[in-house]
Amino acid sequence: MLSFARRHGAGYLFIVPFFALFLVFQLFPILWTFYISTQEWSGLGEPESVGLKNFRLLLTDPQFWDATANTLIYWVCGLVFILPLAMGISLLLNKRDLHGLRTFKTLTFLPYVCATVAIGLIFNIMFDTQQGLVNEVLGLVGLDQVGWLTTTTWSKVPVIVLNVWRHTPWFALILLGGLLNIPRDYYEAAKVDGAGAARTFWHITLPSLRPVLMFCMIMITVESWNIFAEPFIMRGPGTSNVSLFQYMYESSFRLFKYGYGAAIGVALTLILALVSIIQLFLMRKDADA
Amino acid sequence: MKRPSGTISARAGRWICYTLMLIITVYSILPAAWMMLIALHPKSSSMTGAAVLDMSNLTLSNFPEVNRLIPVWTNIGNSLFTTAIGTVTTLFFCSLAGFAFAKIRFPGREFLFYALVGTMLVPPEVAVIPLFMIMTDLSLTNSLWSLIIPKMATAVGIFYMRQYIKAVPDEVIEAARVDGCGPFRTYWQIVLPMIKPGLAVWTTLTVIARWNDFFWPLVFLRSQEKYTLMQAISLLPVGEGLSTPWPIIMAGTAIAIVPPVIGYVIFQRFQKADMTAGAVKG
Repeated sequence: MLSFARRHGAGYLFIVPFFALFLVFQLFPILWTFYISTQEWSGLGEPESVGLKNFRLLLTDPQFWDATANTLIYWVCGLVFILPLAMGISLLLNKRDLHGLRTFKTLTFLPYVCATVAIGLIFNIMFDTQQGLVNEVLGLVGLDQVGWLTTTTWSKVPVIVLNVWRHTPWFALILLGGLLNIPRDYYEAAKVDGAGAARTFWHITLPSLRPVLMFCMIMITVESWNIFAEPFIMRGPGTSNVSLFQYMYESSFRLFKYGYGAAIGVALTLILALVSIIQLFLMRKDADA
Repeated sequence: MKRPSGTISARAGRWICYTLMLIITVYSILPAAWMMLIALHPKSSSMTGAAVLDMSNLTLSNFPEVNRLIPVWTNIGNSLFTTAIGTVTTLFFCSLAGFAFAKIRFPGREFLFYALVGTMLVPPEVAVIPLFMIMTDLSLTNSLWSLIIPKMATAVGIFYMRQYIKAVPDEVIEAARVDGCGPFRTYWQIVLPMIKPGLAVWTTLTVIARWNDFFWPLVFLRSQEKYTLMQAISLLPVGEGLSTPWPIIMAGTAIAIVPPVIGYVIFQRFQKADMTAGAVKG
């Protein structure tokens, strides 16, 4: 026993801070969330046990479904726009014979440095219906004004733009890391065989990046289902751009319906678990990447 | 025997690359640049798109005015404190655990590592209500420590550090052990100096994340003197009711993004290693 501790103690000791914090501030709270979701509680007095009432309410709550649909759209748009954009930027960054690459790299990373809250506020001005830069530019090409943050149809657009804008650079860097790890001789062999740029990309670059792309998809997924600051700062009419996570926050900390908020948290956890299982299943081949 | 068309298309390819670089650069800096332009205009000016491009009457007077709406110096101090302590503790605990997972053999290591990776999939945000209660029980609400403590060791950070420390040759660790170096000394004196580039990258990413954190301060902090800068600027537009003084608000947001941007650009110059090195390779 003593020799076991002497031999392996350090290993456990070094990882204990993480697992201790995880237990206290993540696992235990998540289990507690499941419990609170079966209670009715306003934060004052005693919580009252109501069984699955919160979940029954959830299923018939149009605001909940709006928020879920909005978040789903943010997620899909994140995958559809962030990945190709990040891919394009990382391919440019990987072309070592271009001038000014260092400056380009620094500048393209700036969106990730800028706070979502601050950029959200400037987006409120840029997407303003009457005075905004975006509508003014649209006017120059002869298009009508769009009520970006005043109509239910369009109010998700600024949220998606900000989400994609801010997160793309990070993924571009991760993809660049993947590109740098592809052995050069693959490309030389392809060149000898007379493969063009498109074929090389399709048959060498993309397959080699598979594990990295999977990692990016998972990160985009977790971040998209957690989207909060963007719709919180740029409010559309009604629930037109409210995210699931934002709905949970407002139910709990604005309306003080803690049980209901927790039920939304449980729904969010279940959605994320489901999506994660599917993704892990897809990436099981690359598990030790 | 190369056909001339090859070089022409290569040149065209380069021009396409430069054009794309230019477009992406403009797209990347436009919102922040637009923010600065508005911030430099007199408070009375209207924010009609093109009018902002008129540079004839720029002023810095909006910046001191921010202080009248929010206690901006206090808020900056809070953000600095949280960011500094948060970053130092994360660097230490994540690299320590990363070292254990990469180089120390102990039973259950693989299992614990996969458990750690699994924890990345369920974000702590979904458990915000109990977390708030725990913080209340610990008397940590309205304290900056509530932002620091839960994130002192993060799964992503450990994952990243492990990838980096794996690249340190086993022989180096073995040699240290043979020379009678304990695990902690090996970590502190051998491994840490060897992974400086990785530490630098993780510092950058953590500073950005901590400084820009918005949700947790919103939940945990209650009084304006405790607010972080992000939380404080988010309240700026509601501060003056209908006649929102956008130039002053933009000055406030500029105060929030300019320091990290300058810090990042300077840091980028000094940083020899690539941001990406070690980030992905197993």
